[in-house]
Amino acid sequence: MKARTASLLLMAPALLLLAAVFLYPLLLYGWLSFQASSVLTGLEPVPNGGANWGRLLDDARFWTDAFQTLRFAVCSVALELVGGLGLALLLHRPLRGRGTLRALTLLPWALPTTVMALGWRWILNDPHGPLNAAIRFLGGSSYGFLSTPATTWFFVVLADVWKTLPFVGLLLLAGLQTIPEDLEEALRLEGAGRLQILRRLTLPLLVPYLALAVLFRLAQALGVFDLIQVLSGGGPAGSTESLALYAYLNAMRFLDFGYAATVMLATFLLLLVLVGGSWWLWRRGDLQGRREGAA
Amino acid sequence: MRLLVLLWSLGPLLWQLRTSLLRPEALLAPLLEGNPWTLANYRLVLSGDPPFWRYLGNSTLVALATTVLTLLLAVPCAYGLQQQRGLLRWGVGLGLVAAAMVPTVLLFLALLEIARRFDLANDLFALSLPYAGLSLPLAVLLLRAAFGDLPAELEDAARLEGLGLGQRLRHVLLPLMGPALASTGILVFLASWNEYAIALTWISRNDLLTLPIAIARIGGGSVFTIPYGAFAAATVMGSLPLLLLVLLAQRPIVSGLTRGAVKG
Repeated sequence: MKARTASLLLMAPALLLLAAVFLYPLLLYGWLSFQASSVLTGLEPVPNGGANWGRLLDDARFWTDAFQTLRFAVCSVALELVGGLGLALLLHRPLRGRGTLRALTLLPWALPTTVMALGWRWILNDPHGPLNAAIRFLGGSSYGFLSTPATTWFFVVLADVWKTLPFVGLLLLAGLQTIPEDLEEALRLEGAGRLQILRRLTLPLLVPYLALAVLFRLAQALGVFDLIQVLSGGGPAGSTESLALYAYLNAMRFLDFGYAATVMLATFLLLLVLVGGSWWLWRRGDLQGRREGAA
Repeated sequence: MRLLVLLWSLGPLLWQLRTSLLRPEALLAPLLEGNPWTLANYRLVLSGDPPFWRYLGNSTLVALATTVLTLLLAVPCAYGLQQQRGLLRWGVGLGLVAAAMVPTVLLFLALLEIARRFDLANDLFALSLPYAGLSLPLAVLLLRAAFGDLPAELEDAARLEGLGLGQRLRHVLLPLMGPALASTGILVFLASWNEYAIALTWISRNDLLTLPIAIARIGGGSVFTIPYGAFAAATVMGSLPLLLLVLLAQRPIVSGLTRGAVKG
């Protein structure tokens, strides 16, 4: 048996499982999105042409959710990048107890999302939560943070940033550690200040890591589900509902599997366009930069 | 600065700890005289039906089973992928990176369909199947990079000695990959301990719930009917194993995360 064939055999079990978990859903959704499969059809699939997709185009709730998901993703990823960069710069400096500090900052990322989402719900509880207690202590009156769309949205973003900032920070820290120290030293000898070093040396060299963080976090944030389900339930009045939550509700609450599959596939497509598009833009910019550098 | 960072990341958790130790009356009226501290919340949670440690056990069981299964599948796959050249290697590599980015929740409906067809629902060991599938992309990428770091002469020499593939893996290559195996295993363990969407739809029996689902269920009712102290006690107990894991295994976790980033 040739080595190439043998190594294919070694890969086969893993590839089979991967196909079942990642490929089969896409195929199933593709097929299911052209079927009516709901309570009305006795949960049996009945071909209905493109009716699901037609409905999707006219579904105001879908487009509102798409906009809300996108807004959530862009805002939280942007905040995570800025905060993550700060954290990475802080942890990069030689500090006493750096290892422990790193471990403790990583903790929010390691906890189950539902655990921390419920923690936030208690903090924001009206009127008993600590935040409202503090407001009353300062002389204000209790505020329904989770019954006002704007504040709910704000705290959903904040909770997401709280949880994933350490991940982005560590990723960027790995990038910082690849930058040779003598380069920084050379710039400093030229009289460059800390901000200048950051702008001229650190940030340009960090671009691949920043791009990676953006791509990965963007994909995850566009599929946000458990945080929103537990923290706000998509409310108040659907104002924080995400596409994934809408798809979940279609399947598990409205028992409309055909339409749920359509929403999921549409979310996949949106993800593909946005993440693939960002990747393409970055690659193009990268190549152009290199060409200019060579010229 | 350091203090600020610590306050930011630990503040909400410490508040949960405080809440969990307060008596219910003290929660509603912050200025209670006398001694407001109590362990009653923990007793309440631990004497529930099923007792809370059951959920911890369920999550640990699924996470362990998933870690073992993932490593068993990922090691040969990563080795095989490292041997491949050309289009297949490139294509599989790209597919793995793409799969690593997919949000899990978008797969749940199809996986639920599989669970129904093969009668896999309400079975913790069966749950580790989709979990292993979800963990494979990252695991294979990490381990392939680790195989790539080993000098090629090492395996050639072992081959000349007449060692078969299994022997080469077991006695020569894998012993050198300890750190990579450890960090891969821990990341897989963490991810499956915390998974939500699949567990939510696969498991309905109360005594088989994993911790994230059990926690979400406790909090699912109206806030006014929840004994928040008991609830905080539950989250504290759910966080402790992870706190320990992160403190003890900080180095492999960080190296796994960052290597995954660099090589992926």
